[in-house]
Amino acid sequence: MRNRNNPYRPIKAEITKVIPETPTIKTIRFKIEEPISFQTGQFIEFTIPGVGEAPFTPSSKPSVKDVMEITVMKVGKVTDKIHELKEGDTVGVRGPFGRGYPIDKFKGREILVVGGGCGFAPLRSLMYEFFDRSGEFKKLFFRGGCKTPKELVYRSEIEEWAERKDLDLKLTVDEGDSEWKGNVGVVTTILDGIDMNCENGIVVVCGPPIMMKFATFKLLDLGFKDENIYLSMEKNMSCGIGKCGHCRIGIYYVCRDGPVFSYDKIKNFPNIWE
Amino acid sequence: MRKFIFKENLTVFLEALKKDYETYVPVKKGNQRFYEKYDTFTDKMVIGEVRPFEPLKAFFYRAREKVADDFKVDIPYSGDKPLAIVGVKACDLKGFRVHDYVFKNHDYEDPFYIRAREENLIISADCTCTIDTCFCLALNIRPYPQENFDINLSMVEEGFVVEGGSQKGNALIEKHSSLFEEMREEYVSQRDKQREKVIGEVEENIKKNEIPYQDSYRGIIEKNYESDIWIEEAKSCVECGACNTVCPTCHCFLLYDQKDEGRMGRFRIWDSCMIKDFARVAGGANPRPKLWMRLRNRFEKKFDFFPKVANLYACTGCGRCVVACPAKIDIRKVLKRLVSNA
Repeated sequence: MRNRNNPYRPIKAEITKVIPETPTIKTIRFKIEEPISFQTGQFIEFTIPGVGEAPFTPSSKPSVKDVMEITVMKVGKVTDKIHELKEGDTVGVRGPFGRGYPIDKFKGREILVVGGGCGFAPLRSLMYEFFDRSGEFKKLFFRGGCKTPKELVYRSEIEEWAERKDLDLKLTVDEGDSEWKGNVGVVTTILDGIDMNCENGIVVVCGPPIMMKFATFKLLDLGFKDENIYLSMEKNMSCGIGKCGHCRIGIYYVCRDGPVFSYDKIKNFPNIWE
Repeated sequence: MRKFIFKENLTVFLEALKKDYETYVPVKKGNQRFYEKYDTFTDKMVIGEVRPFEPLKAFFYRAREKVADDFKVDIPYSGDKPLAIVGVKACDLKGFRVHDYVFKNHDYEDPFYIRAREENLIISADCTCTIDTCFCLALNIRPYPQENFDINLSMVEEGFVVEGGSQKGNALIEKHSSLFEEMREEYVSQRDKQREKVIGEVEENIKKNEIPYQDSYRGIIEKNYESDIWIEEAKSCVECGACNTVCPTCHCFLLYDQKDEGRMGRFRIWDSCMIKDFARVAGGANPRPKLWMRLRNRFEKKFDFFPKVANLYACTGCGRCVVACPAKIDIRKVLKRLVSNA
C-alpha cells in the first residue's frame, strides 16, 4: 500500500497568545508543529479538538511559517470555543487551501484595499506583504470601515499604518462616538474622490457579504474593471479540497478555486452575495 | 478475456473468493434486491435482474468513516479484507465516473476512496429485466456493463458468459481456470438476445414516461433558472435527503469531530444538499434558504455543474430517487418539464 497524505488530518498547534481586539473579535496566535507556508489570501481549517473545524484566512505574515495568527469573530459553535482558548491549549490546523491574492500581477499598479469589520483579517496579512515589497507597487490605498470605533480591529497597528508614507489610509464607522474624529458612514462613502486611475487600478475587497456587494457596485461605478476587483468569498468551506460539496458557486468550489476570485469569474453566477 | 461458467461452478468460484474478499451478493426480498454478505449459496441470490436497493457507492465511500485519528499521520484504515461486490449493474458503474472525478482527479486525492477502488473487486452483471423506474438509456448507459468492472457476468440458459474487464479480473479467471469453459457462439447469441430484450424494455419505459434523452439536456438548468418549475416540484418535499442517500453519484459529505477520552476522532458522513443548513455559514448567511432553491441546486449540480467541469451528467437513470422520495418528486418528470420548457 502506497503511503498517501491524509488531507483530513490536522497538524497539532499550541496557542501562544490571545489578543482581544473588540468585544466580539479576538486574534489567536499559535505555534504549529509542522511549519506551513501559505500565500496571503489562502485559508486554513482550524480545529478545536473534539468540537470541530472552521475556516480562517491567516491575518499574519506569510513569511513566518511556524507561528500564525487568525482573527476570529464569535459567531458559532467553533468560534465560541476559540474565544475560550488560553495560552498553552492544543489546537489543530489543516491547509493552506485554495488560491490567494495574485500579488505578482499587482506589480507596478495602483492598489486599493477595501476592508470591512472582521474582513480586516486577511487584509492585514496582505498589507504586510505589500509593506515588505513596498517599492514594487505604484501607489497603495487602504479604505476601511466598521460599525463603531470600538469594533475596529488592530487599532494600534492601524495607527502606525496611518503614519506610513507609502500608504494613503482612510477609515470610517457606521456610527461614531464622542472620541471619533474620522468619517461617519458606510465604507462606500470614503471611496469617492480617490486619487487613482480606477480604470487600471487593482482593488481588493474583504468584508461581510453585504459590504462586499455594495462596495463592488460602487467600485464598478468608479470605473474599476471586473477583472481587477478581487473578492474574498465567504462560503461554507469544510473539506478544503473540493470534495465535500458545501461551498460551490457555479462551476467553482470556493475552497479549491478561491477563496479569492476576481469579479469577472463569478459575476454571472446567481446569488453570489448570499 | 471471454469465458463461460456453469451455475454450479459460479458457486465454487464465490466460495473461493471468500478467502481473499469479504463478498457481497444481491439477495431478493419481496420484490426488491439488497446486497448481503455472502456466506453460502442460496436460491434467493440474484446475480442478474436489476440494481439492488442500495447504491454501490456505499462500498467505496462509506456512509460513516473515520478519516483522522487524533493528530496521527497514519491514515486510519480499517483492517478488514477488501470487498468483492457481485451482481453490480451498469447504472451503478457510471457512479464511478462521477466519484473518480471528485475523489481522484485533483491536487488532493482522497486516500480512503482510492484504496477502496484499488483493492475492492467488482463482479458486475447484465440486467436481465427492468423495473418501471429504469431509464438508463436516456443517460446513454446500456443495461449491461461496459466499463469499470473486473469481471462481468451475463446470465444465459445454463450459466454465465464471463468477460474479464481488468488485469485483476483476468488474473482471477486464470487462477481458477478449471472452473471456466471455453466460450461458445450459442452462448454469445443467447447473451445478445437477452441484452436486446432488456434494451427494448428500457426503451418502452422511456417512451411510456416521455423521458427526454440526454442529448436534449444542454442548457436546461440555465434556461429554467427562474422558472416556477422548481417551486412547484419542491412543494411536497419533506427535506429528508433520501434522494441524496440512494443516489449513486451524490458525493457530498460532512466532517465532524468526536472526543473520546481526550483523543479526537474525525469522521465523515454522507450529507444532503436538500437540508436547510447545508450551505449556511456560521455568520448566518444562507445562499439557499428555500427548499425550492435547494431542489434547483440539486439539479444544477447534476445537470449543469458536472457536464461543465467533467463532461458528464451526474445521473445514471437508476431511478432510485424516484422510488425513495416520500413526496413523489420524480426526476423523470422534472427532466421532462425542464426540457420541454427550455
